[in-house]
Amino acid sequence: MRWLPRLRMRVEMLFRRNRSADRLDEELRFHLEQQIAENIAAGMSPNEARHAALRAFGNPAVLRDQARETWSWSGVETVLQDARFALRQIVRSPGFAVIAIVTLALGIGANTAVFTLTHALLLRTLPVRDPGELVRLAIDLSATESNGHDAPLSLPMIEAIQKQSRTMYDVFGWCVYDFPFRDGNVNGGIHGAVVSGNAFDALGVRPAAGRLLTPADDQPGGGPDGLAAVISYRTWMSRYHGDSSVVGRRVVVTDHPVTIVGVVPAGFEGVIAAEHPDIYLPLEFVAALYGQAAKWDGGNLWLVAFARLNPDASQAQAAAEMKAIFPAIREAAVPPAMRNMPAVQKSSLEVKPARTGWSKLRSTYTQPLLLLQLMVGAVLLICCANLSGLFLARATARRQEFAIRGALGAGRLRLMRQLFVECLILALPGALLGVGLAWMVGPSILHMLGNAEAEDAISMQPNATVLCVTVVCALLCALLFGLAPAWTASHTSVEAALRSSNRRTSAGGAGMRNFFVPFQVALSLTLVVMAALLGTTVTRLLTEKSGYRTDNVVFALTDFLRVPQKGEALVSLYRRMAERIRERPGVEQTSVSAISPLMGWRWSDDFIAMDAARHTRPLNAMENIIGAHYFSTLGVSIAAGRDLGNSNDDRNSCIVSQAAARTYFPDGSALGKTLRCVIHHRRTGEPDTLRDYQIVGIARDTKYDSLRESPPPIVYLPILAEDNGSTNGGSQLFFVIRAQSIAAANSAYLTTLHEMAPSSPEIPPVAFSQVFRDSVARERLLSVLSGFFALLGLLLSCIGIYGLVAWNVTRRTTEIGVRMALGATRMRVFLLVVRQIAGLLAIGVLCGGLAALLAARSIRSFLFEVQPGNPWVFLASAVALVAIGLFAAALPARRAVSIDPIQALRTE
Amino acid sequence: MGKPSDLVQGTLDLLILKTLSVEAKHGWAIAKRIQQLSGEILQVQQGSLYPALHRLEQQGWIKAKWMESETGRQAKFYSLTAAGRAQLEKETASWERLSGAINLIVQEG
Repeated sequence: MRWLPRLRMRVEMLFRRNRSADRLDEELRFHLEQQIAENIAAGMSPNEARHAALRAFGNPAVLRDQARETWSWSGVETVLQDARFALRQIVRSPGFAVIAIVTLALGIGANTAVFTLTHALLLRTLPVRDPGELVRLAIDLSATESNGHDAPLSLPMIEAIQKQSRTMYDVFGWCVYDFPFRDGNVNGGIHGAVVSGNAFDALGVRPAAGRLLTPADDQPGGGPDGLAAVISYRTWMSRYHGDSSVVGRRVVVTDHPVTIVGVVPAGFEGVIAAEHPDIYLPLEFVAALYGQAAKWDGGNLWLVAFARLNPDASQAQAAAEMKAIFPAIREAAVPPAMRNMPAVQKSSLEVKPARTGWSKLRSTYTQPLLLLQLMVGAVLLICCANLSGLFLARATARRQEFAIRGALGAGRLRLMRQLFVECLILALPGALLGVGLAWMVGPSILHMLGNAEAEDAISMQPNATVLCVTVVCALLCALLFGLAPAWTASHTSVEAALRSSNRRTSAGGAGMRNFFVPFQVALSLTLVVMAALLGTTVTRLLTEKSGYRTDNVVFALTDFLRVPQKGEALVSLYRRMAERIRERPGVEQTSVSAISPLMGWRWSDDFIAMDAARHTRPLNAMENIIGAHYFSTLGVSIAAGRDLGNSNDDRNSCIVSQAAARTYFPDGSALGKTLRCVIHHRRTGEPDTLRDYQIVGIARDTKYDSLRESPPPIVYLPILAEDNGSTNGGSQLFFVIRAQSIAAANSAYLTTLHEMAPSSPEIPPVAFSQVFRDSVARERLLSVLSGFFALLGLLLSCIGIYGLVAWNVTRRTTEIGVRMALGATRMRVFLLVVRQIAGLLAIGVLCGGLAALLAARSIRSFLFEVQPGNPWVFLASAVALVAIGLFAAALPARRAVSIDPIQALRTE
Repeated sequence: MGKPSDLVQGTLDLLILKTLSVEAKHGWAIAKRIQQLSGEILQVQQGSLYPALHRLEQQGWIKAKWMESETGRQAKFYSLTAAGRAQLEKETASWERLSGAINLIVQEG
């Protein structure tokens, strides 16, 4: 029980420190008086007694300090002392404090903003039970297909792995989907996902209302409530206002009645990052839509698969197990005819960690975000260098204060600690301001991702992790920029400082400050060069001729899966709708297309050139299914021949791009020749149908799915009816509409849709110019942000140079006065001041040039049509930097020139 | 003994505890008593006395109380706690053991 009084004492020491101090003073005074009394009793006079007592007693102040040293919390006391002193210093020179805080706010704010995005997209763990146990299973087809990484699985494979794996359990599949949705008089689309019955169990998520899906719901015909669905918390709040009666509500999804059985908890957005499903349906729903055969199709890879690792198994063990058992699973799951396809034979199964879920956005944005993080880190370093220089100047000015402190007995560490506390006092408000800045700027950065779904799903509010990281960042910054001044302060030579009263001719700290300018200049040059390269890339990409007309063109996606018209009637519906839209006011031209260009989708097939001189093998070409007037709608001219017509007479015609004509018929014109399309049957994999198309026109080259690649060979086929009721391009074709304004195009499409296909869901059209811009969203993000960081770095470096030169001038005022008195001209003085900076700039530019070269090489993959070692960019950046640096140095140098020598010599 | 560093810290604690075992005293009286009992050989410096008193109080071996002293002024009186008594016995025993051992060696030669 001894700890109780001990604890009580410690608490009293902390909160009643002043009272304890007074008590101690009283105690010591009492002691002294007793000693004096004894001396008087021994016969001394009162004065002698007092002096003798004091001599024996010792220095009361030192005694007091010695006694207090044993008190607990003395560390806290000294730090508080330092803090109070630092605050007094700041109040005395508010300008300095403001500059420091603003500089730091900019640096830390930029870091926080980028880190928030990085965290939200790349690092945030899923809000499920034990996310560290989750792994993702993906099929690797990269042996045969260039885009074959991270392919999903099929349902039979998932079931087989669930049965056979000993290292993993709770294997489930997930697929994001858009559904037509009807509830009462709300008729629109809803973004959602189909998931395995055991998905929610595996994730360990608890419902916010009702219940979640279970394996019982994934049976044929649905579970006890029929087809069950679970909605997101967000939908529950916005659409149903949090009403608990939503449980049991019947809605219609894709024309199937579905019962809502529960709500997922707030903050849960599934396992695919940056997706926000509003409804979750069991896999059985796919069977309801397309039949059991479609759900269990072993040849169709559509489910992103996740699993939990057994507690005693590691990811490596799971990967090894999959390597061993996957070939057998593949044999059992894939349909017989597809088993011999090279893509299937060479495929393998990978096991990847999934604590942060999975996202397609990640593959695009991981590297850019890391690059941005590095750049913003460089900006922060420049900030710190600036602040360090500022603090160094102040520390040098306060040399005498430190010398006196040292003489009074302050140790080196004590002085260093005091300076660190001063730095911290400035760093913390700077960090706070920075967080505020980041919070304001966050949404605009997110907007630049160019992905509307991601914008909805990612929240840029600073959360706990980001704030922690910011605070740590601020602490590290304070340590970093406080290091140099603290070192200088603690190593002040006491006698030298106290002896020399003249502050204007001594050096001190100059050496260290001279290091900062080349450092800043080098970093700035690197940032400027990278920004210039990325900016050039974006400019080149945006001005790249895509071959299309992009102004006032919209693409409207239709979903005619459930319309009554099938086969030929569906084809006719598309044609008639295109005509109807064209008749609307403001519309200039309309067409139909299966693929929207530059959206990143690819459709390719093998074609054989018939009538060619040599016997050729099948060559792959990009493909699009189009209606009449496609080329005139998009402003693509026909180089030879004619466009496709609007009737079935053209069912065997096709149009090829110039690149395709060159590929298939390198010698001679391709007009009139025949192309044979080799269609592999989806199930058997054998060449099934051979359709011949006659080339009736050659179109100019255009880009296909990406601006970066050169125009590929494209074959344009007409819309034809298929046996299964849809067209050869599917039942979700685009209407391509060119009008006098985007609004006219949109309204024309929507009115026609309501008129001619009222039961199909309404999907808002997208402007082609928006698609075009979004296709370079990543590069735009990089170029805008890197440009901003480069400017920021440049500004900070200039401030640093200005500060250094101004300080030098002040330091050397007397020297300059002497020189001018001895006959130096103004120009010589000016050159004297600037020469030093010029030397530092030169060193900085050289080092920076090397660093920039290395950095530019590493971002080669982002660049487009600009070489990393492009000399013009480097030269221009270096010249700009030197010019700006010299300008920043010239301003205080002018002040040096206007020094009155007599005045300077007088003020010592 | 002049400088405080000559006296091992633990020994000062032992002396203070022993002095307080008889009756409660204030700081001055403790120093005087130690000086008296040792025949003017041991003089405790204030610089080591008060830190030692604070340490002992924190350990819970002595407790302090502000009372009126013989001169009429308020003074801080220290007294031994039960735990302090136990500690005194322990330290006395270990001191006797230590000094006995040193004596054996010193008187050997």
